[in-house]
Amino acid sequence: MDAMIQAFWLVFDPYVLAVIGVSAIFGMFVGAMPGLTATMATALLVPVTFFMPPVPALGAIVTATAMAIFAGDIPAAMLRMPGTPASAAYADESYAMTQKGQLNLNMGVNLVFSVAGGFVGVAVLIAAAPALAEVAINFSSYEYFWLACLGLTCAVFMSNADPVKGFLSLFIGLLLASVGIDPAAGFPRFTFGDIDLMSGINFVPTMIGMFAVSELMRGAVTIDAASQMVTQQVGNIFRGVGGVFRKYWFNFLRGSAIGTAIGALPGAGADIAAWISYAVSKRFSKEPEKFGTGHIEGIVDSTSANNSALGSAWIPALVFGIPGDSITAIVIGVLYMKGMNPGPTVFAENPQLIYAVFLIFILANVIMLPLGWAAIKGARQILRVPRNLLLPVILLFCMVGSFAMTNSLYGVVLMLVMGILGWFLEEHGIPVAPLILGLVLGEMLEQTFVQSMIKSDGHWIEFFLRPIAGTLGVATMLIWGVMLARGLRRAPQPAPA
Amino acid sequence: MRLNDALLGALLLGFAGWVWWLTTFFPAFPGQDYGPNLFPRILAAGIGFCAVMLILRGLRARGRLLTIEDWVREPARLASFLAIPGAALFYILASEPLGFIPTAFLMLAVLFLWFKAKPVVALPSAVGMTLLVHWFFAGMMRVPLPRGLMDSLL
Repeated sequence: MDAMIQAFWLVFDPYVLAVIGVSAIFGMFVGAMPGLTATMATALLVPVTFFMPPVPALGAIVTATAMAIFAGDIPAAMLRMPGTPASAAYADESYAMTQKGQLNLNMGVNLVFSVAGGFVGVAVLIAAAPALAEVAINFSSYEYFWLACLGLTCAVFMSNADPVKGFLSLFIGLLLASVGIDPAAGFPRFTFGDIDLMSGINFVPTMIGMFAVSELMRGAVTIDAASQMVTQQVGNIFRGVGGVFRKYWFNFLRGSAIGTAIGALPGAGADIAAWISYAVSKRFSKEPEKFGTGHIEGIVDSTSANNSALGSAWIPALVFGIPGDSITAIVIGVLYMKGMNPGPTVFAENPQLIYAVFLIFILANVIMLPLGWAAIKGARQILRVPRNLLLPVILLFCMVGSFAMTNSLYGVVLMLVMGILGWFLEEHGIPVAPLILGLVLGEMLEQTFVQSMIKSDGHWIEFFLRPIAGTLGVATMLIWGVMLARGLRRAPQPAPA
Repeated sequence: MRLNDALLGALLLGFAGWVWWLTTFFPAFPGQDYGPNLFPRILAAGIGFCAVMLILRGLRARGRLLTIEDWVREPARLASFLAIPGAALFYILASEPLGFIPTAFLMLAVLFLWFKAKPVVALPSAVGMTLLVHWFFAGMMRVPLPRGLMDSLL
């Protein structure tokens, strides 16, 4: 109880509230701009939050991402361009509704169900995280090894990419994580005598490079494409939402449940939650033929799902230090920087910080309603910001942010190299999210693996003897089996010309 | 610009071999069976395995070795693409001798103009954004942005 009151004071501090307010506006803007993603917003926020105490730093990230995931729905409906990948699943459906003259209803449903889905995710986070932490306190290196394996495997399994390319990305990320002093013997690996590389590959410039710079490179090519104008006027967005809720309350619950479950699964986040819940909605709908023609049903499912995934993704991040998606991968890095090493002990040592995160999540969802309304009303202005001015400014932010993380040009060099690498990988259909998860989890995976090997003296069976470790191990291996079977069955496809 | 799977696989196979070769220089510790080379070797093997799969797939599909999209053939769009890494490279080379303010201003102004912003908009925006970023990061956040030429003024 004491910790809760402390958390309350930590959050309701004018400085923290101001940070939350500014991040909310920043998140809305980034989310509503096509081509700028929620992950990019987080990566660009880290250098700024680096200089703040833990609560405002986490508050900024929580608020900005929650807003960005909702705001991504706005250009999806107005321009058929999803603002973030999490809105891609139902962008066509939303746009079809706009063409039918139902933009108001679509925006209202997106906003209200995003907020409601967000609350479901937060509720599960609040209920599940402390309980899981009690279980996790007894975990040994075996459990952590399998959890990390399971998380990384899920990241590959759940992404829509080809498994061979997903694993490639993952292995490259893990290899990047092994640059620097090795955790077992203290030997500098792959440093080529460079002092900067001794400290390892700093993951914030890497993220900025992979998620922002590579995106800017792609954006620069299409910058001349005539920007579309929003023609439809937005009226009263809340009319008819109540009716949708009465008709599709089950879809809302199902979407939120799927979103929460997928978010909590290590390695998969809001975008995958939206795709899966949209597919489920279509599969079990009474009117599947209406999907794709501007039908609200699938939107209810998936817009609830992506916001609920956001909250529950923090469960594995806080409890095990294993990211639920690429946003929480950054969060874990931030937690380490703030000296709050994620894991079950943080619940015992710093419960007020955990409660503060919960409070900020609730607060973010509360202010999403008025701010989201304002963003929808102002969308015509936001979408009119000229991209030819925006792109160079974002590049400058990327460079200064990367510089700030290392206080040297090493950060900027790393950002540039990773930006080009990220562009090259994506160009070849190799997803970058598994690479980032690999980079974040690499040290933990290697440490627990080598520790377990030493403890068991190389006997593999020891990895399965503890009940939870055994279950996790078998689950991981089952997924590997499924992927291998799928890979072997898949006929070789002709290369696209 | 996209390489054929077989070519990409061959590149990655070479990379995996190089990583493995590098691990042979890692020291072994007596009495310690699982040293610093174990984990990188597993990863190199994993990359090698995926690379072989890609090579097999690429050979079976018999696609073109290199696919080039239309934008690469248009000089203006290719230059726009290269402008982003080019600007970062310029910053890396110039920010120490020139200082943050001139470098950032030059970079923004040139990019704004290249992306066809009107000079009336581009130049004031470049000045404004440079000073804003400098104020925020160097002033508020105490990031030691290079001073360069402006050292005596700041």
